[in-house]
Amino acid sequence: MPGFTMSRIAWRNLWRNRRRTALALAAIGLSVALVLVYDGLLRWESDWLLQTITGPMLGHAQVHAPGWRKTRDLDKTLRHASALVAAVEDAPDVADATARVYAPALAAKGEEGFAVVVIGVDVERESRPTRLLAGVSVPDPGRRVLMGRQLAEQMGVRPGDEIALVGQGVDGSLANDLFTVAALVETAVDLVNRQAVVMPIDEAQQFFVMPDEAHEIVVYGRDAERAAALAEGLRARPALAGLDVLDWRALAPAMVSLVDLVQAAWIVVLLLVLIAAAAGVANTMLMATFERTHEFGMLLALGTSPSRIVGMILVESMALGLIGALTGTAIGGALVAWAHHTGIDYAALTGGGPSSLSVFGMNWSLRIYPRLALVDVTRAVLAVLATSVVASAWPAARAARLQPARALRD
Amino acid sequence: MAGRASPEWYRNCLWYSQMRGRAVSWCAAVAMAGAASAAVGAAIPQAPPRPPDVEALLTRIDDLYRSTSSIARMEILVTGPRSTRSLRLRAWTRGEEEALIVIEAPPREEGTATLRVGDNLWNYLPRIARTIRVPPSMMLGSWMGTDFTNDDLVKESSLRKDFASRIDRRSDDPAGWWVALDVKPGVVGRWARIEMLVSDDLLPIEERHFDRRGRLARTMTFDEIKTLGGRRLPAHLTLTPTDTPNQRTELRYLDVRFDVPLPDDTFSLSRLERRP
Repeated sequence: MPGFTMSRIAWRNLWRNRRRTALALAAIGLSVALVLVYDGLLRWESDWLLQTITGPMLGHAQVHAPGWRKTRDLDKTLRHASALVAAVEDAPDVADATARVYAPALAAKGEEGFAVVVIGVDVERESRPTRLLAGVSVPDPGRRVLMGRQLAEQMGVRPGDEIALVGQGVDGSLANDLFTVAALVETAVDLVNRQAVVMPIDEAQQFFVMPDEAHEIVVYGRDAERAAALAEGLRARPALAGLDVLDWRALAPAMVSLVDLVQAAWIVVLLLVLIAAAAGVANTMLMATFERTHEFGMLLALGTSPSRIVGMILVESMALGLIGALTGTAIGGALVAWAHHTGIDYAALTGGGPSSLSVFGMNWSLRIYPRLALVDVTRAVLAVLATSVVASAWPAARAARLQPARALRD
Repeated sequence: MAGRASPEWYRNCLWYSQMRGRAVSWCAAVAMAGAASAAVGAAIPQAPPRPPDVEALLTRIDDLYRSTSSIARMEILVTGPRSTRSLRLRAWTRGEEEALIVIEAPPREEGTATLRVGDNLWNYLPRIARTIRVPPSMMLGSWMGTDFTNDDLVKESSLRKDFASRIDRRSDDPAGWWVALDVKPGVVGRWARIEMLVSDDLLPIEERHFDRRGRLARTMTFDEIKTLGGRRLPAHLTLTPTDTPNQRTELRYLDVRFDVPLPDDTFSLSRLERRP
């Protein structure tokens, strides 16, 4: 049973020089942990971009009446909005959908008028986690509205104040009424914070004389990554024939290039991290094997065949690699799991900076929740394992081909 | 659309979204009829192909619907792709700076009023008993759901100040002159160029507004010439935006009285809220 003997010898070899083995294990383990933590951050970053962009406002896809996106004319509406929402939700891969009304209006607390956008929303659906009104306590219906915090500050409006809204109905008539500002909202979307008055969609429909009509249906798919296919599927539905259906990538090309740019930067860094990890492992394994040239010379002189020596080294390094990779996975995985659970406060890391960032019209939370997928672990383990095996087998093979006397002298 | 840069949004969020347009011109004159009757019928040229003096021409046209003061009754018909709507108005003007417009019909909007003093514009809404000043950012929004903008009511006097004018070419049918007005450098506004066709008896026939990209944005035509308030003028004006098919606003003067003495408080906020 040469293979078995070989494995036993290899295993025993590992523990003959504990310092060397510990060094190699540390190199491999740390590399795997490093790669995993970085993978976790990368995955968080990609989720974070996608969610901040699509969650509150854009959705994964949107449905509009033809031409509305260009001119935002009040009268370019989707008719039978509730039936349309139902039809969209019937489509495969759709998680849910919600209708919105957007109408320009003049708002005034006293005599000064301010330009605002009235957004009529399905309050229940928009209050779900990560959506527009997530975390907002929604007022009772009955001419009660929410107002963007910055707009309210500009207008000097406080919760409980009465405001006048003046707009134009879809039929051209003058829409005007008094509303109570139930609460101020701070959402992830700048536009809403700066310009919006949010009211239940049925009240907006009544105010702007557009019964069961809407300007936009926001669609959330089951898989955010498959937004294009989602839009494609919706376009083929007969109920949506003739309407504009676009996925978020088509709706917000600026966001797409932002995502691509950030993603490319992160992937370059991932490559560097991988190379650094592999170099560390390779260096440790190379040194550890070269160090044993004398020992291999002895074995050759005793009549061990070069292939058996290489085989032995392969088993040794494989065992080292596996133990190291498992340790690294445990450490990296635990770090990511802990950080995912508590979140990393970027503000605290940078010494009390802001907790969110307002760029590209969105508020980006600066709390980091890394996450790992199985594929990340497999990839990191395999990469480091392969590096350690190659980095030890190559010097071993070289030593095994030497003249025994020469190898002994080295 | 969250990601959309806001200028686009901002523009779209103007009060009534349909019309975006900085108008100069007639529209204003329209809403604030006025006139010096002396000018009527003056200057009928004998030998047509002699171009009129452009400054005098513009002054005359500016003056056509305006005077020291006026009281007018008019009707507005808004035709849109989805609906048709008509309004009946009563308007008071004094000089170039003051105007009061009150909607008399339909009943749903009766009593809704707009007061203009200088560059300020207020709307009074009787249903909620509120007076609201129109913010500068909404000046390009539609006035009362028509194709006229709030700006049309305010900026009517800037035509000669903001534009360099010249007689451009002769028109044979209808007989008259095309006047070209090109915006002066450094002036902020929507129109790069305005062309107007003026008949040989010095009445406006057509006016074209070109935006900053040189595209025709809207056309105003003038017809139904009759004598109102002792002055001969086109009583029917049609404003047609180029980019919205089946959309237009027509305005018809029913009667006009010029140079009527008006009480001092006609153009005040307190008067705005106290309907006649």
